[in-house]
Amino acid sequence: MKARAVAAALLLAALAAPAHGQAPAPAPPAPSPPAAEAARWELRVGHSYSSPRALTQPATAVLEQEKGEPLYSVLDAGALLRGSLAPRGWVELGLRAHAGSARPPRRRVYGAMARAYGELDPLLVAVGGEYLADGNFDVRQPAATLEITALGGAPGLGTWVSPGLRLRWRPWLGLSWGSGLRPYGRLAAELASGRVEAGLEATGWLVQGSAVAFLQGDVSVRLVGGLFLTASGEAGRAAPRFEPDGRLGVGLGFRLNVPL
Amino acid sequence: MRRKDDLGHRWTEGGVERAVIRIVRRLSPGWARRRITRRTRLHTELGWDEWYVLRVARPVRAALHETLDDRLLLNAKTVGEIVVMVWARMAAA
Repeated sequence: MKARAVAAALLLAALAAPAHGQAPAPAPPAPSPPAAEAARWELRVGHSYSSPRALTQPATAVLEQEKGEPLYSVLDAGALLRGSLAPRGWVELGLRAHAGSARPPRRRVYGAMARAYGELDPLLVAVGGEYLADGNFDVRQPAATLEITALGGAPGLGTWVSPGLRLRWRPWLGLSWGSGLRPYGRLAAELASGRVEAGLEATGWLVQGSAVAFLQGDVSVRLVGGLFLTASGEAGRAAPRFEPDGRLGVGLGFRLNVPL
Repeated sequence: MRRKDDLGHRWTEGGVERAVIRIVRRLSPGWARRRITRRTRLHTELGWDEWYVLRVARPVRAALHETLDDRLLLNAKTVGEIVVMVWARMAAA
């Protein structure tokens, strides 16, 4: 078996400082919303836009070299722009790429989406549109989506199980309407301990009467700022082709959060 | 200085702070009351994910009679920022 050197490449960027403090209200306070409530947008860079966990998962870039072969790359990255258009709801615009020369074009995935959210405590509801395509744009899948999740109410749902067990999870149930009506579910779980973070995201669809699933996970060690050493893997059948796939790799990861 | 909520009830900033901390404590049952202060970080200390903070909205409406903007809540990083957010929405008494 050929030896495979996994040489990480990439950059970058310290996590932007939170700096979301709301300015104290001027005295005397105005009855209308204060200036601090003016629309604010933020840009987030992470692994994907598919779930909360995916957006805290570092984007990863890996370079692979096999003897006698060209240098291959694997890139999993996404970006999300979030802002508010209404007082009780907000929107997200996202892009993601599951690409790199180590993946044949049919296994690459490019996606774009727009979503609007509303909080209907105890539920969070999201409606949106998503466009997925494979690397050659042979398979293109535009779809409208409806997703819900419970904000909380069970141990570990949305918050650490306990101070000593930093494990949390969140389920999403969705309906996708594009080439037919397609129900799906997604479960994201994450575990944190010191500088180490681990995440798992499982998605299952009902495609033409058959259940298909895709699983992805990562273990990351924070090096400095938004830079991580990340081992990530995936298995199963991912949209839009729903063909069997699997990968395991180690590389550098990064996360970025920029208030605009 | 006192301010009024949407039902006309009068609050001090300290009263708002205590009410918000009670709400946060109920949403993080594993944490001792004394460990929750204005400086407590919602995400990194209490482990709230980005959506969980929205659970604050309903009890704030019930106890403090103020309606918070979802997006502002999503941007809150500490208990103190929620206190400031609620206090800023109250009108001069």
